[in-house]
Amino acid sequence: MTASLGVVAGASTTALLNLPKYHVTRRQPRSRVAILGAESYSHNLENILHSGFELFHLDLRGKTVLLKPNLVDYIPGNHINTHPLLVAAAVECFRRLGAKNVLVGEGPGHQRDTELVLLESGFSEELRHLKAHFVDLNRDELIMTPLLATYTGMKHLWLPRTVLEADFVVSMPKVKTHHWSGVTLSMKNIFGVVPGAKYGWPKNILHWKGIQESILDICATVPVHFVIADAIVAMEGNGPLNGHPRPLNRIVLADDPVAADATCARLMGLDPTRITHIRIGAQFLGNVSIERIDQVAEAVCAPANPFEVVPEFQHLRATGSAQRDS
Amino acid sequence: MRNAQQLNHTCIQELIDRQLPSGGWPFTSDTTQSAVEPTALALLALPSESIRERDAAIRFLLHMQNANGSWPAFSGDDGGGSGLTGLALYALNRCCAQGMVTNRAVHWLMESRGWESHWLWKWKFRTSDRHVRFDPDKFGWPWMPETVSWVVPTAYSLLALKHARGISQQDLVHLRIRRGVEMLYDRICPEGGWNAGNGVVYGFPLAPHADATALALLSLLSEPPNDFITASLDWLERRAETCFALWSLAWIILALDAFGRPTALLTDRLSSVVDPAEVNDCATLAVVSLAFRRAAGDNAFRVAHET
Repeated sequence: MTASLGVVAGASTTALLNLPKYHVTRRQPRSRVAILGAESYSHNLENILHSGFELFHLDLRGKTVLLKPNLVDYIPGNHINTHPLLVAAAVECFRRLGAKNVLVGEGPGHQRDTELVLLESGFSEELRHLKAHFVDLNRDELIMTPLLATYTGMKHLWLPRTVLEADFVVSMPKVKTHHWSGVTLSMKNIFGVVPGAKYGWPKNILHWKGIQESILDICATVPVHFVIADAIVAMEGNGPLNGHPRPLNRIVLADDPVAADATCARLMGLDPTRITHIRIGAQFLGNVSIERIDQVAEAVCAPANPFEVVPEFQHLRATGSAQRDS
Repeated sequence: MRNAQQLNHTCIQELIDRQLPSGGWPFTSDTTQSAVEPTALALLALPSESIRERDAAIRFLLHMQNANGSWPAFSGDDGGGSGLTGLALYALNRCCAQGMVTNRAVHWLMESRGWESHWLWKWKFRTSDRHVRFDPDKFGWPWMPETVSWVVPTAYSLLALKHARGISQQDLVHLRIRRGVEMLYDRICPEGGWNAGNGVVYGFPLAPHADATALALLSLLSEPPNDFITASLDWLERRAETCFALWSLAWIILALDAFGRPTALLTDRLSSVVDPAEVNDCATLAVVSLAFRRAAGDNAFRVAHET
C-alpha cells in the first residue's frame, strides 16, 4: 500500500515537473558544441581554447564577460573544482577577443571563506598573475529578480548585481557526478550565483524547493551564453566532494548549456534524457537531441565503462540502445 | 613586522572610512547595500572611543530589526528573518542595548528552529532519507525559515541566548540552548570540528571548516570541558598550521584564545599577511580587527561569557 502510494506520488510529481512552467524561451533552432582534446592542465590550454573559440565566431568587443567556475570547497587531492589554469586560459582568450572586462565570479556553496578556497586551490595566484578581478558572489550587492520559470514555486530570487549586469555569462563547470542531482554540469553550476549572504551556506532553500526545479528556474533567469566544461580530469562516484578522479582529457565548449550538458553526459556514459533538468531544460533552454547539435572538433565518444554514480542515480547510466538513441 | 595594535588601529580606521551614512556596513566596499553580518561584526570591533560610529551602527541595527523580532540579512531583505539574528542580538547586547529589542529577538529565536524538528521531516529523516547522519531530535537554527539547522546560525544563536540578560522564561531559554548545544555535538565531524552542517554524508566523513569550527567552539565556551571540544580545538590547531586566509585565521585566533590555547605565532602570521587597505570585505576586516584586539587581552567572545 505504502509502495503503491509512493509510486503514484512519484508519477504525479514527475508529471507536474513535465508541465511547462517557463516564461522565456532560449532554445535556438540549432546549437554548437565542440569537444577539444587536452591531455593535462598546462599553460598550453590557452592555445587549445583559442583555437576552439574560433569555431564559434564570438563577438565580444566591448562586452563584460563573467566567468563562473565551479569552486565548492578545497579538499587536498580531490578534483572538485574547475582547474585554475583552465580559468586563466579563458580569461586570456576572452581578452584576446576584445572583451572590455573579464571577471571571474563564484559563490561557493559550502565554504564561507571564499578567500581560503581561492588561496588553497591555486586560484589567487593565477588571478593575481593575470590581474583579473574576482567577485565573491556570496557577498555581492543583491537585486530582487523575478524568476522566469516557476518550477520551484518561488516568485523571485535575490541575485548578485555582477551577474545581472554581465553581458556574457560563461558557465565553467567541473564535469562531475553529484549525489543529490545526478550530475553537476553547466546548468547545475549556475547554483553558485545564488548568494550565501541571503540564502546561507549551503543554499539550503534550493534543496528544499527541489534541486532539479531550482536549476531550471535559475537557468531560465540567468542566461548562460557560453560553456567551457572542464572534463580534463572529471569526477565520478560520490560527487560533488568525495568522488574519484576520472580523466577524460577533454574540454567541452558550447553556445547552449543544455547541449553542453547533454554532450558531457554522453561523454560520461550517462543518458541525458534521464537527467531531469536536462530533459525539461530541452523544452525551453536549449537542445538535447543530437539532431539539433552541430558537433565540431572531436566526436562524442561514450566510455566503455559509464561513470559511477550513487545508487539512486544508477538509472542515469546509459545502456547500449539508450546510448545510441539519446 | 607591524605590531597587532598598530594594525588594529589601521583596521578600525578602514572600517570607519567604509561606514555608510545609514550607519551600517556593506560586505564589500564597492557597494552601498548595508548587511547585518559586517555591521554586527564591525560594531563588536569598534573601540568604545568610537562613540559616534558605534551609536550610528546601533541605530542602524535597531532600525533594521523586523517586526517579528528577527533581523534580515541585508537592507531591503524580506522580513521573515535570517540566521544572522543571533549575531545582531549578541552585538547589541555587548553594547548594552537591551529591553524590548532583546525580548522580541529572544522570542523569535525561541520560535525559530531547523525544519528537521518538524514531525513530518523527522519521520522522513528517520525512514526514507538516511544519507545524512544526524539525529533530528537535536535541532539548532537555520539560515532562513523553512530549512534545516546549520552550524553557523546555530552558533550565533547560542551566543545570543547565552549572553542575553533580563529576559523572561529563563527555563525555556535554557532548554532551547540545550537543544542547540546537542545539535552541535550531534553534527560534529568524526575527527573533531564542524563542516557547514553534518559531519557525515553518504557514509563519507566531511572535512571540518575552520570558521564554522571556531564559531561553534565560541558558542560552547561555557559548556563543561569534554572530548568533542578538545578534539575540535586540536583539529583547529592543526588546521591553523597551514591557514593563511584572513577570515579563517582570525576566527581561529579568537577561538583558540578563548579556550586558553596559545595564539601568539598565529597573530604574527596574521600581521605578516594582512594589509587592511587591501581587504575588500568589511566582515573580514572586522574579524581581523577583533583578532588583533585579542592580542591586547580583549576577546569579544571570551569577555562575554565571563560577565
